[in-house]
Amino acid sequence: MEASGGGDVQVSGGAGERRMKMKVMVAIDESELSFHALKWALDNVLNTMATTATPDENIEGGGGGGMVFLVHIEPVFHHAVYPIGSAGAVYYPPSVVEGSVKKAQQEKSVSIVSRALHMCKDKQIKAQSVILNGDPREMICQAVEQMQVDLLIMGSRGLGKIKRTFLGSVSDYCAHHAKAPILIVKPQEEDHKKK
Amino acid sequence: MATSSDSEKKQVMVIGIDDSEHSVYAINWTLDHFFAKNPSFKLVLVHARPSATSAVGFAGPVYAGAAEVLPIVDSDLKKIAARVLENAKQICIKNNITDVVVEAVEGDPRNVLCEAVEKYHASVLVVGSHGYGALKRAVLGSVSDYCAHHAHCSVMIVKKPKTKH
Repeated sequence: MEASGGGDVQVSGGAGERRMKMKVMVAIDESELSFHALKWALDNVLNTMATTATPDENIEGGGGGGMVFLVHIEPVFHHAVYPIGSAGAVYYPPSVVEGSVKKAQQEKSVSIVSRALHMCKDKQIKAQSVILNGDPREMICQAVEQMQVDLLIMGSRGLGKIKRTFLGSVSDYCAHHAKAPILIVKPQEEDHKKK
Repeated sequence: MATSSDSEKKQVMVIGIDDSEHSVYAINWTLDHFFAKNPSFKLVLVHARPSATSAVGFAGPVYAGAAEVLPIVDSDLKKIAARVLENAKQICIKNNITDVVVEAVEGDPRNVLCEAVEKYHASVLVVGSHGYGALKRAVLGSVSDYCAHHAHCSVMIVKKPKTKH
């Protein structure tokens, strides 16, 4: 990786080097929204930190300057039992189907994470990825707690109240239950009108 | 170096504040993490001052002495607002931030904050969170919740950690 990402500007002003290094975690899934959130985070949040990351700075426990954690939650694959036929006969998917579905899911996760890592690398920001299994809501909150992150960033689909109740909202749950400050990035509808 | 088209113009960050310690914590946290050096955001602090009538309205629909109490409540609220804003300004000064707008608007916090977002074309709205549980939230309502859903920009909810591990 190239030395000192971002600019060469040595910012020595301000209240005496009182910059806090922030451990940021971004939750990503396959939706474009989470990538939008990641991009927004990289542009706005991490650029202020990344310029301070010197090449010879050791990453102690992942806290050192301009570091982002990417967390991707793989939903647990249920052994689905499909009722078919009027007599109520059930169809158990053979293990080979399970195996291939699992494999496809893993490949998808890997591609999502690698795309995200790529984005970080483009902005010259160190990134570390974590893939967890389980219910997204709980796993994200758990990850936040275990890794003691300073800020959690997520995208939000902007569902209305009703849809939110039925479909559930991961960002909503995390906003209430995560132990860290959370930044919910919304899709920008009026990006061009913003002046 | 800069890829986004409006990198010349600073993005606006609105912080909603009230009288509680959670707000103070939120301001401090935000300033520490986002404005420590070479801030890329313009800062706007908005205090939503509940209107006197709504504050008294809580006491009950029929309150004989309401007319007398209103001016007192009003001046009280004004004092609180002034104190909140003063506090906030002090925190900004301590952090060497000069490019800040401080405003107190009367009305329901939810609407005030969402309108402030529109007015300043903010890209981020920061609110503290009282950390109410589900029940209190249902009864008292949650401004941070409302804003997270209705604001047209990204919302950051800063929570004060209850226990330090």
